[in-house]
Amino acid sequence: MTLSRADEINRQARMRRWAAMAEPWLYLSPALIFIVVVLLVPLVIGICYSFYKFSAFRSEWAGLDQYRTLATDPVLYHSLYNTLWWTAGSLILQFFLGLGLALILNRAFFGRKLVQAVVFLPWAVPTFLTGLTWAWLFNPLIGPIPHVMYYLGIQKEAVTILASPDHAMWGPILANVWYGIPFFAITLLAARKSIPTELYEAASIDGATAWQQFTKVTLPFLAPTIAITVMLRTVWIATFADLIYVMTAGGPAGSTETIATYIYVSTFKTLDKGYASAIAVLLLFLLILYALVVIQMRRRLMRDM
Amino acid sequence: MVGKSAARRIIEGVGLYGAVALYVAFALFPIYWTVKISVTPQKLLYSEGIKLWPSRMTLENYSSVLAASDFPRYFLNSVVVSISTSLIVTVIASLAGYALSRFQFRGKVGVSLLLLLTQTFPLVMVIPPIFRIMGQLGLTDNLYGLIIIYTAFNIAFATFLMQSFFDGVPKDLEEAAMIDGCSRFVALRRIILPLTLPGMGATVAFVFTAAWSELLFALMLINSESQKTFSVGLLTFIGKFAVDWGQMMAASVLALIPVCLFFGFLQRYLVTGLTAGAVKG
Amino acid sequence: MRKFALSMAFGVAALALSTASVLADTTVQLVEVITSPQRTEFLKGQLAEFEKANPGIHVDVVSLPWGEAFEKFLSMVQAGQIPDMVEMPERWMGLYANNGQLEALGPYMDKWDEFKTLGDRAKQLGSTVKDTQFMIPYGYYINAMFWNKKMFKEAGIDGAPKTMDEFAADAKQIAEKLPGKYGYCLRGGPGAFGSIQQFMDNMAGKSGYFNADGTSIFNEEGAVKGLQMLADIYQKGWAPKDSVSWGFNELVTGFYTGTCAMLNQDPDALIGIAEKMNADDFAVAPWPVGPSGKAYPALGYAGWAMMSASKHKDETWKVMSFLLDNKQNLGWAKTVGTLPIHNGAESDDYFKTEQFAGWFTELKDASKYELTTPPTYLENLGVFYDSQVPKNFQAVLLGQKTAKEVADTWAKFLTDEQQKYMAAHK
Repeated sequence: MTLSRADEINRQARMRRWAAMAEPWLYLSPALIFIVVVLLVPLVIGICYSFYKFSAFRSEWAGLDQYRTLATDPVLYHSLYNTLWWTAGSLILQFFLGLGLALILNRAFFGRKLVQAVVFLPWAVPTFLTGLTWAWLFNPLIGPIPHVMYYLGIQKEAVTILASPDHAMWGPILANVWYGIPFFAITLLAARKSIPTELYEAASIDGATAWQQFTKVTLPFLAPTIAITVMLRTVWIATFADLIYVMTAGGPAGSTETIATYIYVSTFKTLDKGYASAIAVLLLFLLILYALVVIQMRRRLMRDM
Repeated sequence: MVGKSAARRIIEGVGLYGAVALYVAFALFPIYWTVKISVTPQKLLYSEGIKLWPSRMTLENYSSVLAASDFPRYFLNSVVVSISTSLIVTVIASLAGYALSRFQFRGKVGVSLLLLLTQTFPLVMVIPPIFRIMGQLGLTDNLYGLIIIYTAFNIAFATFLMQSFFDGVPKDLEEAAMIDGCSRFVALRRIILPLTLPGMGATVAFVFTAAWSELLFALMLINSESQKTFSVGLLTFIGKFAVDWGQMMAASVLALIPVCLFFGFLQRYLVTGLTAGAVKG
Repeated sequence: MRKFALSMAFGVAALALSTASVLADTTVQLVEVITSPQRTEFLKGQLAEFEKANPGIHVDVVSLPWGEAFEKFLSMVQAGQIPDMVEMPERWMGLYANNGQLEALGPYMDKWDEFKTLGDRAKQLGSTVKDTQFMIPYGYYINAMFWNKKMFKEAGIDGAPKTMDEFAADAKQIAEKLPGKYGYCLRGGPGAFGSIQQFMDNMAGKSGYFNADGTSIFNEEGAVKGLQMLADIYQKGWAPKDSVSWGFNELVTGFYTGTCAMLNQDPDALIGIAEKMNADDFAVAPWPVGPSGKAYPALGYAGWAMMSASKHKDETWKVMSFLLDNKQNLGWAKTVGTLPIHNGAESDDYFKTEQFAGWFTELKDASKYELTTPPTYLENLGVFYDSQVPKNFQAVLLGQKTAKEVADTWAKFLTDEQQKYMAAHK
């Protein structure tokens, strides 16, 4: 009797342990099922492509040939450099402008609701349209920007910067910043709203200045959100071809070619999706590396909290 | 002393409103330009160049988009796809984000990396395999296929977002509730979810807009007029021979309306910060 | 209960009837790729007429947005979602025909009533791959010189240029005399090679892309001069700065807004231009001749092709032959801006205006104007057009590479392709 009772307790304990172990997976399962079935399988197939050489209707085993070509491709290095520039430029501007906007929107002022609705709008504009609209704004015939720049003395004549190999990248970057500010503003604002007000009350009773409140309370609480949004946005921007493709198609003369546009061109213009895959694998590798660094940093931050 | 702080308040106020004005101007100008083009008669489009407002305006573009094209149907399709996707994703991602935020378990880093992996690959690469798989399942050329794909693509990001929001909610809150005898799930539902409502609102909004403006898959998977979403519809205005800018911009302006309504509806969650009340209460 | 059974019976009968009618109907799926809302509407009108005359055949139109049509159609075919009939631009033909995706149309054409009026050019251009008629052109695009009469007058020039030297001089004069205006509407972006080829051929005094031994003519001295001429026009400011990335739409806009005075285009540009400019303000002249006294205008075309995977070939041919008959083709030519394919169509009043004179002169005077078609049989012609050309051409315009360097790159790519083709088709 007693033995079986001990068994019973044991069994229950085991069950509980097992249940505790299974619990997170239960919460995760719908997400995982979707991702594995819809994304992981095609992704693996996509990676397999990189070991083949393709033309439109044929493919042949190429082993590591595509990767060897990759190593000596001057266009690739150029595109990597452009990708870095495009990603860093867009991200830094988006982040700081977005953070500023979130902090402003967190304060009470007259007409805040309306302002908030308005400044979030760019995020809702489809990217393809964002690209077209900004291309319009840069067009010297019908857009104001070249004329404003000429008037301000930034340019010697009212021409589009999109035709200049040295400055063309600023066009898509500006459009991307416009489009991306709301992303940071919304997430950071939502995170800011979740910080309990008592913390600020306590801080101000302790005599903390506004700056101290920002660095000691706001920033640490925003840190997880900042880390994750910066990481995601970096990855997105780096793989984001639409804006550049619509505004400059990688031109003039390849000066706005990024890894993402190069992959598009390789898939659909030179029709070698094997090579495109090899480039994509390289990009994937670099981005995962970057993400691991960010995740580590985030962990450390969380531990400190 | 008093004078100084009053002066300071004025400076602060001017700075605040100045900054607000700059943000609003930057956000609105391109949209304003889109609206301007949509009401400019075709003939004046290029001849008047960079005027701030056309000398004559017309609503013809709007009436032809609404009455003489398939756009109303495209809009409806987009609304169906975007709302379904955003609701499904937010539920799934809230569960997954909660798991990643609150549990320590083996394979957690692996799961995060898997989620991340899905974001690091340019879409172009997976289009051929997805095209084939969806074709075999009979999910090309219909909206279910799009909803499934959009859901899969948005889960990772939404999960990370929700995870970060859960991370921001102090753990002791639910631990207290669980000590009081609530099960974890009840604690999640009663205590944590209300606190993360702003976050869920933001997630819904993001997924909605992502699905609303997605182009590549909608373009590749959909053939029939009756299943097209509005972003693919927009492309049809760019012909080989001419771009119908006026109608295209009119359609775009119209496309902003549902998004505005949707954002307006979500404002409650994004702005009011239910947290404050909940924690104090 | 009886009522229920009765209605069930009716239901079953109705169901049976409706499936029967579905079975009797054949659906032909047609993909159009060069699209615009007006064009699609016209095509659908034609097909409605067809369906009325051919009960039992339904035509399902899939319209791909032109900008992404290549990607989309290729993905469809690769994934096995193959339509019955497709609109085929000449540049795509090599790709699909060489890979066995297209049905030979010869057997169908032999039984066609209207075959006798079909111009020889349509037979010849539709059968460049393996000497087999894999497509039937529905019309031609021939390049000629649009010129802005008003701007020429303001700059003190009378008449369109007749030689390449005059052309360059006119471009210069207009750019220098008229502030903020330019001489030539240069195409640096997508689809630039039609024009480039004309400059290179004209200056080389040679037609086409290749010598008889399969080597490309594009890096020969004269051809390089032609490329250099385009670079000079751009670098000296005789063409707009942003024309480095211009495609069709920007070119046409540049011309009708009076930003640039000369434009090398085919009749499809006329539709947009005639709508927005006074008929007296512009005309279309034949393309100026090079030092050899000859010009080599580019001749482009597009047509209809049948997919070899089609399960309804006879019905598909019915649709195709209907769209290509004398009456429909003439209407199509007027709507989309092509030159029609049947003999005798040019006597239609519509083509007798001053605007069409340039093209018909080029068509008639074969001793002076040799029309040049791209080597549509090459499988990788599209790769050359869409990937080799834009990037390298822009580099020449911007002075990052010399004309000779780029001409060598192009010649090498084309020579390789051509010799591979020749070796395979001895």
